[in-house]
Amino acid sequence: MSHVDSVAFAVLVVSFLIVTLIGFVSARWRPAEDPMHLNEWGLGGRGFGTFISWFLLGGDLYTAYTFIAVPALVYATGAAGFYALSYTIMVFPIVFVFAPRLWSVARARGYVTPAEFARGRYGSQGLMLAVTVTGILATMPYIALQLVGIESVLTVVGITGSTGSALGRDLPLIIAFLIVAGYTYLAGLRAPALIAFVKDALIYLTVIVAIIYIPAKLGGWGHVFAVAAAHLKTVNPETGKPYGSLVVLPAGEWAYATLALGSALALFMYPHATTAVYAARRRNVIRRNAALLPAYTLVLGLIALFGYLARSVPAVNAGVKAAGGNAQLSVPLLFEHVFPDWFAGIADAAIVIGALVPAAIMSIAAANLFTRNIYKEFLRPAATPAQETRVARLISLIMKVGALGFALELDRTFSINLQLLGGIWIVQIFPAIVISLYTRWFHRFALIIGWAVAMVYGTVAAYRTPGNGQAHFGASAAPVFGHVTYIAISALLLNLAVSVLLTLVFRAMRLPDGYDETRPADYLADPVDSRAGPAGVPDPVPEAALPGAAFSPGPPAAPLTAPVASRVASPVAGRVASPAARSNHHSTAAWGWPQLRGGRGKHESR
Amino acid sequence: MGRSAPKSQRPVLRGTVTILLLVAIGGALCVPIYARYLPKLGGFPFFYWYQLSWVPVVAILCWLCHLLLRSRPPAGSAHRPGGRR
Repeated sequence: MSHVDSVAFAVLVVSFLIVTLIGFVSARWRPAEDPMHLNEWGLGGRGFGTFISWFLLGGDLYTAYTFIAVPALVYATGAAGFYALSYTIMVFPIVFVFAPRLWSVARARGYVTPAEFARGRYGSQGLMLAVTVTGILATMPYIALQLVGIESVLTVVGITGSTGSALGRDLPLIIAFLIVAGYTYLAGLRAPALIAFVKDALIYLTVIVAIIYIPAKLGGWGHVFAVAAAHLKTVNPETGKPYGSLVVLPAGEWAYATLALGSALALFMYPHATTAVYAARRRNVIRRNAALLPAYTLVLGLIALFGYLARSVPAVNAGVKAAGGNAQLSVPLLFEHVFPDWFAGIADAAIVIGALVPAAIMSIAAANLFTRNIYKEFLRPAATPAQETRVARLISLIMKVGALGFALELDRTFSINLQLLGGIWIVQIFPAIVISLYTRWFHRFALIIGWAVAMVYGTVAAYRTPGNGQAHFGASAAPVFGHVTYIAISALLLNLAVSVLLTLVFRAMRLPDGYDETRPADYLADPVDSRAGPAGVPDPVPEAALPGAAFSPGPPAAPLTAPVASRVASPVAGRVASPAARSNHHSTAAWGWPQLRGGRGKHESR
Repeated sequence: MGRSAPKSQRPVLRGTVTILLLVAIGGALCVPIYARYLPKLGGFPFFYWYQLSWVPVVAILCWLCHLLLRSRPPAGSAHRPGGRR
C-alpha cells in the first residue's frame, strides 16, 4: 500500500473530474424560473418523475456505507452483517405505506422539511425543533461515514495512509470534499440528481462484473463460502469466541431482526431521504419507486457478499492485517488484487462517487432543515425565498466542513456504528412524523417529552455498550430483558410508551392542544398537472403550471389560523375525514385543500 | 361524487394491500424462517439465497399493491386524460 497505484489512480481522477463537470453543469439542468427559491435549490424544483427519482433515491439511500461498511461487517463477522439486506428489503413496503401521505401533505402545504410537517400538524415549534435537531444530529455522522468510505479507497490506492504528516494524509479527501461542496452550493439538489446517473452506471457495472468474474477466478461460490465458514469458526483470541457464523445463530436472531427493522424504520426518517421523496413530481412516483428500488437492494446483497469474496483472497487478508485489522479496506483491497488496474480504478471510482452523491444530498437536506426551521422560524421570520436559499447554501458548506471534522477526528474502524448511533436518534421522530400522518391523537408535549426521554436513553444505552475492543459505543444492540435488541427499537418503544402515557395525562389536565393546520384532504392530495410530460422527460418549466400558492415560503394556511382554530382542536380530525378527502382529490381543483366541501369548513377565503 | 363507490371497495382493497405488504415485511423480519444452512443452491447456503430471492418477491408485491391502489374507480373525474403512467 506504500506505492501509488498509478493506473487506478488516473482512472479515479478522470472519473472524479467528469463528475465534477456534471456537478457544475447541472445548475443549468431543468432550469427554474426562480433559481433562488428553496424549492429549486433544495428540492430540485419538486419536478422529478419516476425515472430520475429512482436514480436519486437509489443514489441517496445506498451510500458508501453500502459499499464499504456492509461488506466489512460481513468480512469480519459473517451472517450478522447481512441484516443490511434484510433491512433494505423491509424498508420499501414500509415506505409504500406512509411516504405518499407525507409527500402529499408536504406538497399541499409547501413543506420543504419533515420538521415543518410536525409544526403544521401540532402547531408546535418545540416539536419542530426536536425534529430539526434530530435530523441534523443524525445526518452529521452519516456524511462523515461517506468520507470514511472515500478514505478507504484512497488508502488502498496509495495516496493517503498512515504515513506522512496529518495534513498531507488527509489532503486528497479535503480537496475532493471542497469540490463537492462547491457544486452543491451552486446547483443544489440538481447536482446529485444528475451525478446519480453516473454513480449508478459505475456501480451496476462494477457489481455485475465482480459477481461474475471474481467467483470464477477464486474457484466458485462453494469454495468462497467454505473459506468464509472456516474463518468464522476460528476463535477470536481477543474475545475467546468464534469470529462469527455463516448463518445467524438462534441467539442472534432477535438482534438481527431488530437491527433490520429499526434501520428500516430509520431510513426514511433521515432528512436526505425525505428530501428525495419531496422532490418527486407526483404521488404515484413514490409508490412506483417502492416497487422499483429493490433493484438496488439486490445490488446491496451482492455487495455484501464481497465480504466473503475478500475473505478468500489471502492477499486481502494480509492487507487488512497490515492495516491493523481495518476491515473497511477489504473491498478496495479485493478490487486491487483481483481486477486489472484500470478496472480497479473504475470500481474505486464507483465507491468514491457513490459516497459523494449521498453526501451532497445529506448536506442539502440538513441545510433545508436549518434554514426553514431555525433561521426562518426563529432568527429571521421575514426572510425572502432568496435569502433562505443563500442561507441554505452556506449551511450546506458548513455541514460538509463539520462532517469533515467528524470524519478526521473520530475513530474510523467501525463506521457502521456511527451510522447506527444516528439511526438510534433518528427513529425517535417516527411518532411525530409517520404516526402523525395517520392520527393526531398524541398530545404535542407528550411527543416532545417522549422524544427527549428516548434520545437520552438511546445515547446512554449506546454509550454503555462495549464491543469491538472499545469500552463505549462498541455496538448498537444491547440486552433488554435478556434479548439483545437494537437500541433504536427499545428506545422507540420507550418513546411511544411515554408519549401515550403523557398524552392521557395531559388530556386529563386539559393542557391546550396545538392548532392543526393540515386538512384531511392534504394527505391524499395529488396535484395532477395533466400537461406534464411522461415521467423522466425533462420538463422545461416543471412547476410553472402549478398553483403558485403552494410554493410560497410560508404554509398557505397560515392566515387562517384564528378563524378555524376552534374547530380544529378536535384530535380526531385526522382520522374521520379521509373518505371525503378521497372524493376530493380527483376534483377539478388539482389541489385538495382549498375547496373542501361537505360541510367541513369554507376555506375559499384563502 | 363517487364518494360511496371507493368507500365500499376500500375495505377489501385495503385489506389485500395490507396483507401483501405484511407478507413482504414478514418474509424478511421472521429470521427463523431463513436462518438455516440447508438446502443449498449453487453453493449458496439457504440463508443467502433465500434473502436474495426475497428481494424480487418484495418488488413484485409492492408493484401489485401499486396496481391495486391505482385501479380504484376514478371518482367520476374527467380530469385525468393521461391516466397514470
